[in-house]
Amino acid sequence: MTIAGIRQGLATNLGTISGLRTAAEIPDQASPPIAIVSLQSIDYHNAFQNGMTNFIFTVQVIVGRAAEKEAQRRLDQYAEPSGATSVKSAIESDKSLNGNCQTLIVDSMPSVGSLQMNDQTYLAAEFSVQVYV
Amino acid sequence: MAKYVVTDATLSINGDDVTSAVARAELTQTAAEVDVTDFGSGGNTEVVGGLKSGSLSFDIHQDYGVGAVSKILSEDLIGTIGTFVVTPNGATPSAENPSFTVECLINTVTFVSGSVGDLATASYTFPTTGGITIATA
Repeated sequence: MTIAGIRQGLATNLGTISGLRTAAEIPDQASPPIAIVSLQSIDYHNAFQNGMTNFIFTVQVIVGRAAEKEAQRRLDQYAEPSGATSVKSAIESDKSLNGNCQTLIVDSMPSVGSLQMNDQTYLAAEFSVQVYV
Repeated sequence: MAKYVVTDATLSINGDDVTSAVARAELTQTAAEVDVTDFGSGGNTEVVGGLKSGSLSFDIHQDYGVGAVSKILSEDLIGTIGTFVVTPNGATPSAENPSFTVECLINTVTFVSGSVGDLATASYTFPTTGGITIATA
């Protein structure tokens, strides 16, 4: 179980959403729609002798230019709690991340907003993922 | 002995090491207060130590996999006496890290516990039976 393995596992799960690009690490150039995995925080020592470590990952989904209605509609689809386009469902489709964690949960989508990238304003949302290792 | 932060305590149940699933442990022993107040106590209460009793409490992360703590602490053990070994700071007993061996009545087993969205955990408190054996090697 490694952080790199968790990243890759999250990206693999997100890749089950048709048409959504994925990046296990923050890319130099991002081409929407794309889901980017980043590590937010680590909570060590949740059981004796390193028996459990909690990671919080952020999955940032950049859907398209903010001015486009299509981008807003696409974001609605990604934000659904279930269904083929649901980011939550995709991430939770394999809660072991191919053996890289004990379990995980997508507990919230804490923010939706605009993002400046390549001189464009994009619509983006963040999903918070708790990963227990 | 230096002060220490609790990270490396260990716990075993009937010889099975469940350390990696345990988030908290506490072993205590108390003596009953026996009142011996009499006319000669000068207006004060007087007590002496009576029978000793103890308890072992710990919090676990639930897991139903093979060899997991929820399998070890199973329904078959309810009502039985289990042997528990606790060390405070590492698995190897020493003068600065004594091991505490105690027998407890397993009077309850929590099969399912947790709130939606939370890690599944269970908390146990077992009464000790007999004394506590402290080893430094």
